[in-house]
Amino acid sequence: MKTKTIFIFTLLLAASIVRVSGQDLSAKDIIRKADEKFNGEKTSISLMAMTIVRPTWERTIEFKNWTSGREYALTLITAPARDKGQSFLKRQNEMWNWNPTISRLIKLPPSMMSQGWMGSDYTNDDILKESSVVNDYIHEIEGEEELDGRICWKIKMVAKEDADVIWGHQVRWIDKKDFLFLKSELYDEDGYLIRTELGKEIKSMDGRLIPTHIELIPEEEEGQMTLLEIKEISFNDPIKDSFYSQQNMKRVR
Amino acid sequence: MNNLKLAWRNLWRNRRRTLITSASIFFAVFFALVMRSLQLGSYDHMYRNVIESYSGYMQVQHKDFWDEKIVDNSFAFDPVLEQQLLGDENIVATIPRFESFALASNGPKTKGVLVMGVDPVKENHLSDVLNKKVRYRLTSEAIEKIERDDRIPDKVKTLLPLFENSAYTNTGRLQLDLDIQDKEAPVLMPVIEEYCYFENGSIRMGEPGVWVGDKLSQYLELGIGDTIVLIGQGYHATTAAGKYEIKGIVKLPLPDLDNKIVYLPLDICQGLYNADNRLTSLSLAVDDNQDKAIGETMERISSMIPENQRVMEWKEMNEVTVSQMEADNKGGMIMLGILYLVIAFGVFGTVLMLTAERKREFGMVVAIGMQKRKLASIMTLEMMLVGLLGILAGALVATVIILYGLDHPLVFKGEMAKMFEDYGFEPKLAFWKIDTYYIWQLVIVGLMVLIALGYPLRKIFGMKVVNALRV
Repeated sequence: MKTKTIFIFTLLLAASIVRVSGQDLSAKDIIRKADEKFNGEKTSISLMAMTIVRPTWERTIEFKNWTSGREYALTLITAPARDKGQSFLKRQNEMWNWNPTISRLIKLPPSMMSQGWMGSDYTNDDILKESSVVNDYIHEIEGEEELDGRICWKIKMVAKEDADVIWGHQVRWIDKKDFLFLKSELYDEDGYLIRTELGKEIKSMDGRLIPTHIELIPEEEEGQMTLLEIKEISFNDPIKDSFYSQQNMKRVR
Repeated sequence: MNNLKLAWRNLWRNRRRTLITSASIFFAVFFALVMRSLQLGSYDHMYRNVIESYSGYMQVQHKDFWDEKIVDNSFAFDPVLEQQLLGDENIVATIPRFESFALASNGPKTKGVLVMGVDPVKENHLSDVLNKKVRYRLTSEAIEKIERDDRIPDKVKTLLPLFENSAYTNTGRLQLDLDIQDKEAPVLMPVIEEYCYFENGSIRMGEPGVWVGDKLSQYLELGIGDTIVLIGQGYHATTAAGKYEIKGIVKLPLPDLDNKIVYLPLDICQGLYNADNRLTSLSLAVDDNQDKAIGETMERISSMIPENQRVMEWKEMNEVTVSQMEADNKGGMIMLGILYLVIAFGVFGTVLMLTAERKREFGMVVAIGMQKRKLASIMTLEMMLVGLLGILAGALVATVIILYGLDHPLVFKGEMAKMFEDYGFEPKLAFWKIDTYYIWQLVIVGLMVLIALGYPLRKIFGMKVVNALRV
């Protein structure tokens, strides 16, 4: 197991060192590389702050996030004090929410996947990453564009027929040099733009260059947005699958 | 005067005919009055129920709250504004509330509920909630004990299974349901009350604890001392979740509300929804609740209200009930119209018969020299006397019944009551006080008599004496 991990890891490292030119990469490979860079090839542990901006108020929630690939994810709210201790768990296709004030474990039905998470513009699906930008879409390079002085691929991703995704198609702008998601436009099944995501403040975190401020702007709501700030992130720490358990939801710190 | 004397004597020449005619008028007046009184009384009762258990006569709200009832559309409570409002001559009290939606759960059972944060003391100005506390309940243990008691007659015992688990806020309804006569009550009721007495607690400001509706508590299978779990969305998208001990159970007259209400002390509720010192509504209790007085009060206070708030009247807030009642009112008027039509033809029929019977008599008196005009005026007087007789008798009997009914509304019991409750109504038919509708019924019936009078008058004036005598 371990040798295999190291093998894959070195391979990936090699892939990023050896400069592969864009023309040789397929659209799907680009998305995979960018996705893995942001979410970690195997695991990631991060500390984030999410600011919900509304026309008359705003509110910040801080949380810790553990993920292992696409299968497992655990999110623990750490601030504000009111919501502290709430956790969200994803194991394969199932999701739960633990609320310590009422000592209740609530299973989130699939119908709630497209609803806002903690009152933000992020959906439960975004946070728990049920769907995959790599496997659930058919990718196609539409061209190159410059964004904030960086040359980007413009990739159109159309949802596969049988994929359980809430978007009809997406358009993503990915930095050619560092494989960063700099901009994404998400459209519904009828082709209407629903939201725009912008990756900003590109910084080096745990040895990787990633956007640390993500702005999420819903299209039809004036004056609304959600700002996600990555405060700390580390990639590919060893996390056992047993970490993602209902018991651990209640005691994880 | 002579005419009147003649008319009066004419009436009693054929007693039966007079009585039949006035009886049909009597029934018209009687039914119309009682029916109208019951209708108006029921509307009033219905309005009072929604007003007093829920909306109040007037409310101050955030301007967007009514269209979108979310906690974000609440407003900060301002004691200065409260003092200003209390300064108005018609406003006697302000009742602060914080209401929202939540999911209530006990074990695997969950239900969407209306969470109402109230100041239990102030709330009493409006919804009389303290008197809605359940005092007696026919639990299976209580029924068992009653069945074993020899003092209780069998006819009461046979009724018991029908009311298993029913809750009562007063002894009156309990007595009615069990079909206990007033004269037996002093002996039987204390015994039954003792068996089914229900220990109920109170909620107080600052103390976590809830009151739940009787029907809701039965659905969730929760009793006093149990814990109810509430989860919802709080102010500015925070999580609102809490566990509370059930301190008491209330039974609201509106089954729809009884099914989903959870009362919390105001401050505890504000804490749950992360909305300290915020209200979703400030109800205003008024001294004079007539539509006109309320309209005037609204006008006076509207200048005090800040820009992001508004005042709403009960009619606006209970649009559904109001239009339901209006539709029912129209239906009632159609029923009345049909009643009038039937009775108008009845009256007309008797008048027709009367005219035919007296054709020869009319011919005779005109032949011996009576002027047709004089005959016509005697006829008119006769009809008016008959009409008056019927109207007065009808009004008199209806008045007696309505006056009695004002203090003793019709309360249904047993299966009938359950049926009413299933439809969302309180099983009660109230009468309405003697009012302008009285005059209207009298005028309409009077007009009916006058129209019927047209026939004999036409006959008299168009009469050919020779033909009339030949009959």
